[in-house]
Amino acid sequence: MTAPRSVYVYGVVRASHTVSPGHTGVGERPAPVRTLRAGALAAVISDAPARLRAKRRDLLAHQDLALTLGKDGPVLPTRFGMVAPDEESVRQQLLSAQHDCLAALERVDGRVEMNLKAMPTETGLGSLVREDPEVSRLRSAARRAPGYEASVRLGEAVARGLERRAAAAAATVLAELSAVADAEVRGPEVEGCVLNVSFLLHRREERRFHGVVERFATGHRDRVELLLTGPLPCYSFTEGRI
Amino acid sequence: MPTGTYTEEVVRIQRTGTLYDCLELILDRGMVIDVFIRVSLVGIEILKIDARIVVASVDTYLRFAEACNRMDLEFDRSKTVPELLGGVAGGGGSPAGQMAAGLGKKKAKKAVAGVGEKVKRAVGAGDDDEEEEEEQEAREGRSRRGTASTAARPRRRSAPPSGSASEED
Repeated sequence: MTAPRSVYVYGVVRASHTVSPGHTGVGERPAPVRTLRAGALAAVISDAPARLRAKRRDLLAHQDLALTLGKDGPVLPTRFGMVAPDEESVRQQLLSAQHDCLAALERVDGRVEMNLKAMPTETGLGSLVREDPEVSRLRSAARRAPGYEASVRLGEAVARGLERRAAAAAATVLAELSAVADAEVRGPEVEGCVLNVSFLLHRREERRFHGVVERFATGHRDRVELLLTGPLPCYSFTEGRI
Repeated sequence: MPTGTYTEEVVRIQRTGTLYDCLELILDRGMVIDVFIRVSLVGIEILKIDARIVVASVDTYLRFAEACNRMDLEFDRSKTVPELLGGVAGGGGSPAGQMAAGLGKKKAKKAVAGVGEKVKRAVGAGDDDEEEEEEQEAREGRSRRGTASTAARPRRRSAPPSGSASEED
């Protein structure tokens, strides 16, 4: 008699979802991925590796599998690192959360997550110096009485100004993109970013969405730098916990 | 210097397979199953705190200030800021104009890239053959005052998606 093996959970799909064989999961020696059915749902799992850490290899394995699964139907990706004590507890959880999971799967069906980060850009420094009264005041002050402190104050004002301009531009692009997306949700704070937001987007809107981002970035290149990542698994639209 | 350098980089679009630009989503979003254990992510938190963009250090303030001072608002409207900043970073306008033109932007990016590099460092810690490369990149990320040679080095971010694939082992 062997002890029940703990399992790593990659995500939840509909029971009807075809998961092609041959995928491997996280760990130094990646275990084969399998599905575990429970009612109308199935969890995509593998044996949990003995020692799991957030290594690049493992994060990629998690990410890639979620993306692959997404090609054949909706998937609710788990947060990285979910390990259940055994298969039975996974089954119990799925059964108890079946209703919510099915609703969430419905919401993300045919959709992807696009993540947009906005950062200040230095390319607008010239216009900032011309337009920002605080910066020009400090600039004059630093010219009259140069020194370390004056420079730091001036530079600080520049940094604040660049950030403010980026944030204002980001708010505008957010509004424009919200009109194209089904939903949006703020991502975790990332230092250096004035905006981190994820959009739930129907696949057929991807081109349009890209178009909006690119046009906006071109028109506001002296104010904000945009970083668009995706299509991603719908991490931000799984509706919390089960 | 072709101004096209800017045009093609107004928005960076990272396709799938990119890890660093969405790491916080993999780690902080996604479905949570309360009763399950979550593996310890020691190291990950540290990087988040340690991530700094270019607009957050005295070093940067001083660089901005110097760029402001070099700016002649009456006559230099055509001059791009990266050129000004590039001159500063290059230690008095020594780098070739070609490099300088893109440098300001590169610096900003490098700082953002620094997030990913630090993540990489922690994420890959203990993985021998990955580590060497990561250490190197981390050092690279740390040298904010880029010299002409760092600027000339191809950026990790400009690598095609296949480039990131080749990084994994």
